[in-house]
Amino acid sequence: MTSKYLSVFKISFQQEFAYRLNFVMWRVRNVMQFFLVFFLWDTVFSDPNRVVFGYDRNKILTYVFGILLLRALVLSARAVDVAGEISSGDLTNYLLKPINYFRYWFTRDVSSKALNLGFAIIEASVLFLLLRPPFFIQTNFPILFGFLLSVILAILLFFSILFLVNMIAFWAPSMGWSAQFLVIVIVVEFLSGAIFPIDILPNAIQGILSYLPFPYLLYFPLQIYLGKLTGAAIVKSILIAGAWSAVLLFSVNSVWKAGLKHYAAEGR
Amino acid sequence: MADKNRDSEKAIIVEGLVKNFEVVEKKQGIIGAFSSLISPNKKIVKAIKGINFSIDRGELIGFIGPNGAGKTTTLKILSGLIYPTSGFTQVAGFNPWDRKPEFLKEISLVMGQKNQLWWDLPAIETFELNRVIYELSKSAYKKSLNELVSLLEVGKLLNTQVRRLSLGQRMRLELVAALLHRPKVLFFDEPTIGLDLVAQQRMREFIAEYNRRYKATIILTSHNMGDLVDLAKRVIVIDKGRLLFDGEFSELVDNFAKEKIIKVFFSKGIDIKSLETIGKVKKLDFPNVVLSVARTTAAVAAAELLQNFPVGDLTIEEEPIEEIIRKVFRSGKVIKGRKNTK
Repeated sequence: MTSKYLSVFKISFQQEFAYRLNFVMWRVRNVMQFFLVFFLWDTVFSDPNRVVFGYDRNKILTYVFGILLLRALVLSARAVDVAGEISSGDLTNYLLKPINYFRYWFTRDVSSKALNLGFAIIEASVLFLLLRPPFFIQTNFPILFGFLLSVILAILLFFSILFLVNMIAFWAPSMGWSAQFLVIVIVVEFLSGAIFPIDILPNAIQGILSYLPFPYLLYFPLQIYLGKLTGAAIVKSILIAGAWSAVLLFSVNSVWKAGLKHYAAEGR
Repeated sequence: MADKNRDSEKAIIVEGLVKNFEVVEKKQGIIGAFSSLISPNKKIVKAIKGINFSIDRGELIGFIGPNGAGKTTTLKILSGLIYPTSGFTQVAGFNPWDRKPEFLKEISLVMGQKNQLWWDLPAIETFELNRVIYELSKSAYKKSLNELVSLLEVGKLLNTQVRRLSLGQRMRLELVAALLHRPKVLFFDEPTIGLDLVAQQRMREFIAEYNRRYKATIILTSHNMGDLVDLAKRVIVIDKGRLLFDGEFSELVDNFAKEKIIKVFFSKGIDIKSLETIGKVKKLDFPNVVLSVARTTAAVAAAELLQNFPVGDLTIEEEPIEEIIRKVFRSGKVIKGRKNTK
């Protein structure tokens, strides 16, 4: 059983290498994004003693660096292709085989994450040597455990959000890409903490956001790692993320079933 | 109960099958797109309007009908891809829609226009993946792969990136991928589409060989009369979601293809009027003439032409399938072939 998905992992890895240039460009984009955010904050905090929104230079640069690595782990996913497969009818290939489509894509996501994380670590090391930002190594074991748990939940959350958005293609085949752009590129990017830490926002907005799944993708896991959350707050954030994962994964399953009944297996 | 069904000699049972598609009519432009999202203008398309047939194990049957007749939809329902609106279907003892792994290991759907091979990798990678997906033992896989590779003569293509192959080469490799797990029930949807004549012939020989060798049950849809003449003894004709004929192919031809088409190329000028004594002139584009003659006298007519006219070239052909089908439709009623018991 596991060997099935191990093979999917391997072939997916090979596939990524078939598009070497594509992959390199994607990494370049990530590094550019990193530079953008890094220098933005570097300018804001050009005076090392200035404190804005409760962040000083060191803290914000640590945050930005942490995001670079965490992004590779949480936001790298291949399941963006699902909408395309549904509308082109390529989904048919999987439905005909004794394989679980979710596990298939989750495996492909994991392979993409492994590859991206590998590159992100190399990039981060180089950037680290170039920019010499302060970096914080967490050593407290319970906190590291909480961090690990929150990252796993973040991966599940992103997987289910991505799948839900992609499954719009069952009902509106041509909407797949625009829905994806709206939710993944705009909403996730802004509300997950990828560009700025959520705690620079007004308290009221933070309050609302803390009940949405998005900040649990990057912001909360990173806050846990950085030791910004205390015991009870860590547990609370993990519980909320866990509840959202359960709700979203359940929705993925029921939307999938409804979608399949709607599926017409159209061909080119 | 289930096991008893699996042992029965019927590989496929279809009773009262109905499929309606809900189609949302698109309005134009961005605003139109949004308004059809909010208040969709739904229309029901009746793709299949209640059909019945059953197929024995090891039978090879042809599925005929014009575009949009419901052939592909039926195959998709039988392979568990789309959800039937109502009716009973059973394939290899299973309800296709459940898509149980045991069921999926027994069937395969090959579509001429659909590919499963990983485009950027050599085909052997897809085969390896299929080996684990279908949980084949290494030895069963090797045996199956070797047989298919030699039958289809694709040994040299296994390690080439799929994108670099020609359509014909790719189709043969697609077949290998679809048949590695030795399906007992096979659905071929337009398997020869886009292939040149040599490749078409090869494909036909292969399908016949597979049917013989593994006693596989096969349904084949095609526009290509050649495919059906060569392969299928029994045919099922459907149009507009209704079953019009189910029986021996020869029965269909005898009933409806009462004529044959003779195409002649004349090397010298002739008296057109005298041609009328031989057959009906269907098309006159001198020096090319198309005649239609009674089936029984086709050979005589051809001999007469060759003897009495300056013939440069001559071919005798079946009426095009569309012509025969049109006659079936024109007859306006459901013709029960011998097989059609319901």
